[in-house]
Amino acid sequence: MSTDRDVTRIVRSWLEEGATALPDRVLDQVLDQLPATRQRRPWWPARRIADMNNVAKLAIAAAAVVVVAVVGINLLPASGGAGDGGPAVSPSPSPALSPSPSPRPSPSPTPAAVFPPRGELAVGSRHSMTLEGVALSFSVPTSDWMSNGSFGVVKSTGVGPDGAGFIFWTYTPTGVFADPCAYKKAAPVGSSTAALAAAVATIPGTVLVSGPTDVTVGGHPAKHVVLTVREDVDCTANSFMLWYAPREDLARYATELGSTIMVWIVDVDGTPVWIDGETYKGAGPVPGQQIQQIVDSIQFE
Amino acid sequence: METDLVVRAQHGDEEAFASLAVAAGDRLHAVAHRILRDIDLAEDATQQALLTVWRDLPQLRDPARFDAWSYRLLVRACYAEARRMRHWAPNLRLLPADEPSDTDGPSAVVDRDQLERGFRRLSIDHRAVVVLHHYLDMPLDEVAETLGVPVGTVRSRLHHAMRGLRAALDADARPTSREAVP
Repeated sequence: MSTDRDVTRIVRSWLEEGATALPDRVLDQVLDQLPATRQRRPWWPARRIADMNNVAKLAIAAAAVVVVAVVGINLLPASGGAGDGGPAVSPSPSPALSPSPSPRPSPSPTPAAVFPPRGELAVGSRHSMTLEGVALSFSVPTSDWMSNGSFGVVKSTGVGPDGAGFIFWTYTPTGVFADPCAYKKAAPVGSSTAALAAAVATIPGTVLVSGPTDVTVGGHPAKHVVLTVREDVDCTANSFMLWYAPREDLARYATELGSTIMVWIVDVDGTPVWIDGETYKGAGPVPGQQIQQIVDSIQFE
Repeated sequence: METDLVVRAQHGDEEAFASLAVAAGDRLHAVAHRILRDIDLAEDATQQALLTVWRDLPQLRDPARFDAWSYRLLVRACYAEARRMRHWAPNLRLLPADEPSDTDGPSAVVDRDQLERGFRRLSIDHRAVVVLHHYLDMPLDEVAETLGVPVGTVRSRLHHAMRGLRAALDADARPTSREAVP
């Protein structure tokens, strides 16, 4: 039986774990949207009247009387008499609150990676992205696939037997985890598709279903590996780390213990491009078939 | 310094806001991740919160209250993300700078496991109170002000949440089935 103090200590220690850094791409997306996002101006004075001294309050009150009087005098002759509703006076923005013309200080020196915008992916359209500087496009077989706008494409039904998802890696992972539950990385294996696929096929805590197999994706040679995450590993799914991409300082973890994970590592004229898909425990044939359909639709440009 | 940036950003200075966002982004993201327990949802919530901060900043009456005000907007964004129930399938995760050491014993793993499950069973209301109080060390009255609820409600939520987490830790046996990551 834990004491209250034990629980508090454990909870506090546990809360210290986890992400603390906001990825630059998220910040860039925010800053990119500023010019199109209008600020909402307050209808009250910026400073609370309660904070002002009595002299200031009296000054404002007097000024208000003068403004009302001046406006009234100006409007009365034009209105042709009280009560017939003169033209509305449109408020002009306060000069003090007008946007500064100064530009954003540090625009990204390189263009943001191209990825389908967040939302549903239209059936019958080509959806473009850039991975490792390689442009490609794909199509989706049904209307329930959606993009997260940065790296993921999923069936919107979510986790569960009917769900499925892809990660398209902007930068190709270079290694796998030697001890997935302990966050212990194996040494990077380099950029050879064969070496990367071999490393994927031997991740502890997984069961190799097939591969590495030689396949073709978009007309380019690729290595394909399929594995499942064991359900009896000694950690939760989101603590089970699979592979990592140091250039983005990101790592893939399992969504669910028992998931099936499919990896394609494509050799595009010497550049490895990494795509991985996932279906969940108890999945029927459809999610896997649709993942394969999407991979089959990939065209490199 | 931050107050000066807030005032400039309130007047539409994008450069000042960029500096504020760089400073605030990490702390907001850390809180969102701890409330939502999902890196993708946390990123989305943080992005939405930062945009709302920019949009509504002119309405912040006291620039010195920027931090507490931004947490309030973040928690609202977390509610919205949780409501969407997107259950993003693909997961990417930032590698933790302080990776768990190899000396972490089995009991620590079990605690993390059980806490994770217990925490996920809590509502966002309860998670927010736990994170603001136990992660940010916010006093309860400040938590109440941040969330816009009476301090008695905060106390009640914290009590309920900690009771749930304690029950999770005291569970006799680890469950045989695992919950999907929401």
